Amino acid sequence: MASERYSFSLTTFSPSGKLVQIEYALAAVAAGAPSVGIKASNGVVIATENKHKSILYDEHSVHKVEMVTQHIGMIYSGMGPDYRLLVKQARKMAQQYFLVYREPIPTVQLVQRVAAVMQEYTQSGGVRPFGVSLLICGWDNDRPYLFQCDPSGAYFAWKATAMGKNYINGKTFLEKRYSKDLELDDAVHTAILTLKESFEGQMTADNIEVGICDSTGFRRLEPSHVKDYLANIP
Amino acid sequence: MSILGYNGGAMVAMKGDKCVSIAADKRFGIQAQTITCDFKKVFDMGPRLYVGLPGLATDVQTVMEKLRFRKNLYELKENRTMTPEVFGAMLSSMLYEKRFGPFFVEPVIAGLHPTTHEPFICNMDLIGCINQPDDFVVGGTASAQLYGMCEALWEPNLGPEDLFETTAQALINAFDRDAISGWGATVYIIEKDKVTVRDIKTRMD
Amino acid sequence: MSLSELCGMSDFDDKINSEYRGDLNTFCGNFTNNLELGVPPFSNPAKNFASVSKDEFGREIKIQFDHGTTTLGFMYQGGVVLAVDSRATGGQFIGSQTMKKIVEINDFLLGTLAGGAADCVYWDRVLAKQCRMYELRNRERISVAAASKLMSNMVYNYKGMGLSMGMMLAGWDKRGPQLYYIDSEGTRTPGKVFSVGSGSIYAFGVLDSGYKWDLTDEEAYDLGRRSIYHATHRDAYSGGIVRVYHMKNTGWVHIDNTDCMELHYKYQDEKLQKSNEIATK
Repeated sequence: MASERYSFSLTTFSPSGKLVQIEYALAAVAAGAPSVGIKASNGVVIATENKHKSILYDEHSVHKVEMVTQHIGMIYSGMGPDYRLLVKQARKMAQQYFLVYREPIPTVQLVQRVAAVMQEYTQSGGVRPFGVSLLICGWDNDRPYLFQCDPSGAYFAWKATAMGKNYINGKTFLEKRYSKDLELDDAVHTAILTLKESFEGQMTADNIEVGICDSTGFRRLEPSHVKDYLANIP
Repeated sequence: MSILGYNGGAMVAMKGDKCVSIAADKRFGIQAQTITCDFKKVFDMGPRLYVGLPGLATDVQTVMEKLRFRKNLYELKENRTMTPEVFGAMLSSMLYEKRFGPFFVEPVIAGLHPTTHEPFICNMDLIGCINQPDDFVVGGTASAQLYGMCEALWEPNLGPEDLFETTAQALINAFDRDAISGWGATVYIIEKDKVTVRDIKTRMD
Repeated sequence: MSLSELCGMSDFDDKINSEYRGDLNTFCGNFTNNLELGVPPFSNPAKNFASVSKDEFGREIKIQFDHGTTTLGFMYQGGVVLAVDSRATGGQFIGSQTMKKIVEINDFLLGTLAGGAADCVYWDRVLAKQCRMYELRNRERISVAAASKLMSNMVYNYKGMGLSMGMMLAGWDKRGPQLYYIDSEGTRTPGKVFSVGSGSIYAFGVLDSGYKWDLTDEEAYDLGRRSIYHATHRDAYSGGIVRVYHMKNTGWVHIDNTDCMELHYKYQDEKLQKSNEIATK
């Protein structure tokens, strides 16, 4: 294949103008676990699948929903180890900002900085792009924010979006269900429904994770809390 | 004599009712020798944000330029105006970065919050320890005298006119007891929708 | 016989008295002899004083006293004019703006002070006493040459021990108007134009460019005033008010005291007026 000739170095363009390594990274994301994010009028929700291959696995000990600062949290689709490096970096950048300005980092700023890190890994020697797309949600200036960060370093602001396996279906579903005066509770409900669209097997409080962010800050929902939401789903 | 007092200079900022003031002398000297009487030590960092930098003249200008650089970059990056609080925190960490080879300035900040118009004043030492009282702050070689004057003259909720008079009198009478500051003074009164800059007549010896 | 006598206490009494007198002489020497100051207990104080003026790390232990001053004096056809500022500083702090830096020793003798204020004031007082003694003993006023020599000899005894003074002595004696410069290093020299103190370089700039023997009285006063004013403007340690004295053959006359602030704005207006005149021409 012609593209293979240009895949030895991630910093070399193919004749058609593509960086194939980045495309492969996006493919890794598209094959990863699905995740969704929805902005509501009074907050924002992010949710993802957290399926385990064995019943021996001890769930609720390693998380996919992570807090970055008091008012920012994130999830991912793609490769777990890459994600944890980005979480670490994001937390560090947020604290660095606070150290200098004595003010919590605005979500936009954090997204920009995380995206810059991801971009750097598409243009440096001896590294590979991240195999993850992130959903970063936050609350500042009295309003919610929802961003997606791709391995290329591109970032997007969404009202609602889906990533990972079956994301096209997820997005189509969201396009039908989204309304801008959604309340946070309804948004959580919709997020779970979106995941359910492509969910294989029984969805329980142990195989999905939900994080919400509103004026009080970011938090990961307890399994018992998720169970309550699941109970309302047919 | 400390290098902080090499060029001389005095500065004061006060809180008023919905307004703040900042004032400084205009002398630039080399120890006892007065070189010029129109030296700028107070700089605008925004429509309602002023910073005064008493201390070593070369560092006054360097710090001012570094501050302007970092503040402009912040405002472009974040697409919003910098609040006085954030400006103070930024300056503080900038100064502490040079903990073991400091800039010889003792900054004074005065401003109004860009949206709430809440008055703000603070000062810090040369390595960035912030002091943020709710009456007045001072800096420079006449700071002992300024504390005395401010303690005696300042009262809460002064309007812009009274604040001008209080600030000017405090500064003049303080630096008249200091050999290496004075030679003219400038007072800035910062209000929600205007900033008044007045040069005042002082002793020239 | 009293008990004290029995015990030989009368000797004791004398002993105490003489010891007390000895102490008084040793520790308060200048009570009885003005020229005698207490010195550190070293065999050669002038040489060894240097070792106590440094701390254990070899840093100078400095007493900060009034150092900054501008004084000037010059002779012209009308006599001698003295002009001085009035600022007293301790370090950067302005202790006084109204100090008298011209000492009226007698009707025909004026001294100016620069350097350590206490040194100048003390030794001027001693000089005043010596001059009066001379007058009483000899039934005539002391010559300025003799007075200045008394002064320089007195301070020479303490050379190298940290006295700091630079003074001018102006007077009018049998030989006419006189002006001397004396300092704590032992210098004593007659001359026509002097300026002493931290602001003297600035004063000289104005004084030298405006000085002529044939100045009228008013011109001379103005020259002195201007010179001091310009020195107070440039020198941080000079300021306050400008005092002008005139030594005439009838004795000294105090011409006036002018605030430096008043002078500054007066000279500024004059300058403005002049440049306007040039512009309209």
